[in-house]
Amino acid sequence: MCILADEDTRIIVQGITGRVGSIQTKLMLKYGSKIVVGVTPGKGDMAVHNVPVYDNVKEAVAEHAADASILFVPPSFAKDAVVETVDSDIKLLVVITEHIPVHDTMYIREYSRRAGARIIGPTTPGIICPGKTKIGIMPANIFSEGNVGIISRSGTLLYEIAGNLSLAEIGQSSCLGIGADPVIGTDMKEILELFEEDEQTKLVVIVSEIGGVQEEEAATFIKDKMSKPVVAYVAGKVAPSGKRMGHAGAIILGERGTAKSKIDVLRKAGVEIANEPSEIAKIAKIYL
Amino acid sequence: MRLFEYEAKEIFRNFGIPVPKGLVVRSPEEAASAAKKIRLPAAIKAQILVGGRGKAGGIKFANNLDEVVAETKKLINEAIKGHKVKSVLIEEKLDTQNEYYIGVTVDQLSGKPISMFSTEGGVDIETITKEKPERLISKKISVSRGFFQFEARDMCMQLGLKGSTLLKVSSIFHRLYKAFIDYDAIIAEINPLIITSENEPYSVDAKLEVDDNSLSRHPNLKLNLNTRYQDEIKIEAIKHGFSYVKLNGDIGVIGSGAGLTMATIDLITEFGGKPANFLETGGGITEELMTRVVEIVLKDKRLRGLLINLYGGINPMPSAAKGIVKAHEELKPKIPILVKLAGNQQEEAWSILENSGIPVMKEVQTEKAVEKLMNLLGD
Repeated sequence: MCILADEDTRIIVQGITGRVGSIQTKLMLKYGSKIVVGVTPGKGDMAVHNVPVYDNVKEAVAEHAADASILFVPPSFAKDAVVETVDSDIKLLVVITEHIPVHDTMYIREYSRRAGARIIGPTTPGIICPGKTKIGIMPANIFSEGNVGIISRSGTLLYEIAGNLSLAEIGQSSCLGIGADPVIGTDMKEILELFEEDEQTKLVVIVSEIGGVQEEEAATFIKDKMSKPVVAYVAGKVAPSGKRMGHAGAIILGERGTAKSKIDVLRKAGVEIANEPSEIAKIAKIYL
Repeated sequence: MRLFEYEAKEIFRNFGIPVPKGLVVRSPEEAASAAKKIRLPAAIKAQILVGGRGKAGGIKFANNLDEVVAETKKLINEAIKGHKVKSVLIEEKLDTQNEYYIGVTVDQLSGKPISMFSTEGGVDIETITKEKPERLISKKISVSRGFFQFEARDMCMQLGLKGSTLLKVSSIFHRLYKAFIDYDAIIAEINPLIITSENEPYSVDAKLEVDDNSLSRHPNLKLNLNTRYQDEIKIEAIKHGFSYVKLNGDIGVIGSGAGLTMATIDLITEFGGKPANFLETGGGITEELMTRVVEIVLKDKRLRGLLINLYGGINPMPSAAKGIVKAHEELKPKIPILVKLAGNQQEEAWSILENSGIPVMKEVQTEKAVEKLMNLLGD
């Protein structure tokens, strides 16, 4: 099984007429993702890679029975687009957009939760259920079907870990990035709950980095509720304190948020720690 | 983007928060004329964008005009915690009866603003949290509902405030929340908020950091990058949307994606090498950006080798490869360069690099790339 989305998920692409939206739509279609409709205000009546484009989400949903959306809209329009999509009763929103103001993200997190909708991201590579669907920007050739679920804070490090697993002939059940911003729509712990429920997933990999407090809550869940083995890799061991390392959320402030503190809290919860990305595959082999 | 204390104070004043009378000066001569306009004694405060300024000697006091000039002379152009002082704030020193802490920041896990109040003013919030948690009250706020005056009062009452002090402090607390929201702040903080012996409140220090992603919404903030940052590469990074952090070693690192780049510098360290920098391109690679970042890293005279680690997800790999080739042809570096690259259009990108004689690693494992580079360096 896939978590969150599978081969039957009917997907909207918001911002489909933009450069990135258009290229990524082509790549998702090539992978077999069921992209049924696109939305770009002012560009209704167009088609992108044979996908019809609408001016708003309401009409797109009414005509094409979509149930998930991937957003490539510019950061200053993201809040508006998310609220529009939630109001059209879409329950899964994958927000690829980087650089959304954090006050907007706080608003859409609260708004979507009240409506029972789930936001993945912002600043996420998206979701892939190998062989079934891809609602994201990840390079498909690196992923393969199997039993390992991956949750990552970073995009390209997710690719590195999945690539390492695939090379060792260990496939993946579902992989996703939860997003690298200080505030995100869905927490690491909530994705762990989905993997714990998912029959196909036999082992979960957490790909983490410095900054934030997601891992503390995740560790409590792993310790108290999780029956499946969890392996983690934490990046940023030599990152200097007080410097923002690329991602808005990747900054060590005080003692919290260091790679060491995350490794300690995860290890105490029974998580196996890989020191190098390639060690994940070695540890996974033992469990599978 | 963090604002200077004097900028934050000007904004707070516009929200009706009282701040001590003061003037910003850039030379001892300006200090002399500023001191004539305010009541002495004065505090002379280095305007630098770093915390812990007081303990590091960045705040001086003066009882008369000569002392104001002398202390300003000492501070201007001095480096405090690695930051060169270009301006100081000359401010009336007030007679303090009580000190409080008030702050609003983003609580990352809940994704909500969090309002904080403490009776341990003048102490930093991490220390209060650790040592006197009973003297700190915090409350997470719904962004769509907002923070009400009565909630600010209730929080202050819980720590024993009464009468006019209760009303004055809670009213400033409520205004600070409004400033936090209106300025898209990451943090808005007054520490300390003092009550004078005449029972008047003042924001003695002021901290305001505006979310970098919201700066375009605040055209009134005249943010001159050159006065704010002292590192030229940092200024260029902000303009072009990449991130750069200088490190102490001699192996240059460029990666597409923050997590991957952090993992790369970790692995170089683990294999006995020393990274010279962290440079992360983000998701907006173009040929021009790639040429520029390679040039920036190669300009570093400490460099003995360069590792470029890229994935083609959202980033176009053929453009990245062309950008690397262009920088390589221009600078003709004599040090070993290794590019590891995978993902969409990888074959096309590999051949662009190979045709220009740049070594390429085709495996996904960063460990192998690091190992190979270390071998090329003879380490």
